[in-house]
Amino acid sequence: MIAVWMLTWKELVRKKVTLMTLLLTVLFWIAFYFIAQSVGASVAQSESGIISLDDLLERFRGSAILLSIGFFFGSIATGFLAIFSSVAAVAGEAEHGVLQSVLARPIPRTRWYMGRWLGFVTFCLAYALLLFVSILVIVTYAAGAHPDWSTIGPAFVLFMSPVFLMVTLTMFASCWLAPLGNGVAMVMLFGMSWLGTMLDRVIATGMFRTDETTKASDTLEIVSGLIRLLIPTDALQQRMLSELFQVKSLGGGFSSRDSLGYFSVVNPPSDAFLYYTAVYFLIFLAAGLLAIRRKDF
Amino acid sequence: MSYAIETFSLTKNYGNGRGCHDVTLRIPAGEAFGFLGPNGAGKSTIVKMLVGLTSPTDGKALVFGQPAGSVEARRRIGYLPELFRYPGWLSGEEAMQFHAKLCGMKGSTAKRRINQLLDEVGIGQRGRDRIKGYSKGMQQRLGLACALLNDPDIVFLDEPASALDPVGRHEVRELLQRLRKEGKTIFLNSHLLEDVEQLCDRVALLNNGRILSEGRVSDVLRASSRWRFRVGGMTPEMLDWLRETMIVAVDIVPMENSEMPAWGEHWLEAGLAEDEQVGYFNRLLIEQGMTLYETQKVKSSLDEWFLQAVSGLEHRGENR
Repeated sequence: MIAVWMLTWKELVRKKVTLMTLLLTVLFWIAFYFIAQSVGASVAQSESGIISLDDLLERFRGSAILLSIGFFFGSIATGFLAIFSSVAAVAGEAEHGVLQSVLARPIPRTRWYMGRWLGFVTFCLAYALLLFVSILVIVTYAAGAHPDWSTIGPAFVLFMSPVFLMVTLTMFASCWLAPLGNGVAMVMLFGMSWLGTMLDRVIATGMFRTDETTKASDTLEIVSGLIRLLIPTDALQQRMLSELFQVKSLGGGFSSRDSLGYFSVVNPPSDAFLYYTAVYFLIFLAAGLLAIRRKDF
Repeated sequence: MSYAIETFSLTKNYGNGRGCHDVTLRIPAGEAFGFLGPNGAGKSTIVKMLVGLTSPTDGKALVFGQPAGSVEARRRIGYLPELFRYPGWLSGEEAMQFHAKLCGMKGSTAKRRINQLLDEVGIGQRGRDRIKGYSKGMQQRLGLACALLNDPDIVFLDEPASALDPVGRHEVRELLQRLRKEGKTIFLNSHLLEDVEQLCDRVALLNNGRILSEGRVSDVLRASSRWRFRVGGMTPEMLDWLRETMIVAVDIVPMENSEMPAWGEHWLEAGLAEDEQVGYFNRLLIEQGMTLYETQKVKSSLDEWFLQAVSGLEHRGENR
């Protein structure tokens, strides 16, 4: 399994996935630094150097918006990396004739599958960690405010969880779908998760009446809930932001639901939803292992 | 007798009429076995079931007494697939190192074996180059080296010489002969019947997923009932007389110009089922005043056997 894992890393490095990802990340860092700096500069500084509570809240609000922007890019980048690195894991490699000689070797197919899975997941996690830390550093340095340090750990766990989900789903689907079809399907599914969050924001604006005759808001809530159940990735991102923007020391003076305008976290999922996501992940991982055991090549 | 491969009514039904049906085979350990058949006959399906890439719909297969596809069975096999590719971003050596790890080979043993095999298949120092720069023939050689990496007791070769030039084919044939002498079991799936003829002890012919015929190569080659006679002093009248007397087809075999003697020497060919008929034919030739220089049985080739066996049959691999 370790040999397959290591080979997967070598593949991602040799196929220039790492190089291109890092190059584009550097571009993002540069752009994001300038955005962070200008947002930081726009927050009023008192001439005496004493920061009022309002200034502090304003500065925190600015950094929270920056973090929302940064992690929005982060979730797209890690999600797409997870999808496109593992999109050809099974059917694609079988199509190219790579798998036939490998699977005739004396290792259980499930170990080969887990080796590939670990390779893709650890690679994407390493990238997620790099992005997570770099976004925090840029925001802290350029905007002069940072989240409560106690929230960083849980937030990172939530930030990286879509990697587990997307690699697992993509590898599972790759047992049947060719790389192109699988890539399209996974990107659409991943994109659909943003739709759920968008619907939540629309509902939160109160644009639609919820009287007995129309019930538009109810319908949107149901659709949004179903989308979240179908693909929980963006819901996890919302929970991550909600964790990250908890500031106990401000005594409730800041709310990620009301204080961030368009970037408000309107409906962060509950703990029960997190358990659902864990079960969802385990089911698809087990289904992938079962599929690879039964597949004919 | 210990068997390398035993299949019992092995069946794979893909649901579209393809696959194979009720294939029962017994291949003793140490035998070189040729598996022949027209395109789409189901040869590769059977090989895939034996190496564990495909599971049978019905029946079962054993490799050295272990269920085909089990890890224990796969420990003892080497496999060169028909359509395969190693990742182009690896070097030949790296691809083999990866396969050595999958086989559980240790570092120094693996390194020695890899260098030895790369030399044997003619890749040598180019093993350090990336595979994407290899020709098709070199990839085929690498595939063969990989198949032999774990010193397997049985080697499944699906069209091993298909991408090779004549020199490469000759080298592969020699390598396989050496493996055979070492007592390895060889399961050769090939359209190059000349290779099968030279290497294999037994052959089976598959058509539309079913075994059509099976036997020793030597028996197949002896199966011909055609005899040739090198004679001198023959006239057209004598040929007509021979045909009438023997009541069999007697033909003059066209000779190469270089072999054409100046004094009207000819090769006659006749289909004679019994040895007694051959003696009688010899006597007639001499009695008619012809000079009999040589008599020999026509050795049939696998090509003829193959063509005869499948002629007139439907082949699902071709749209006719």
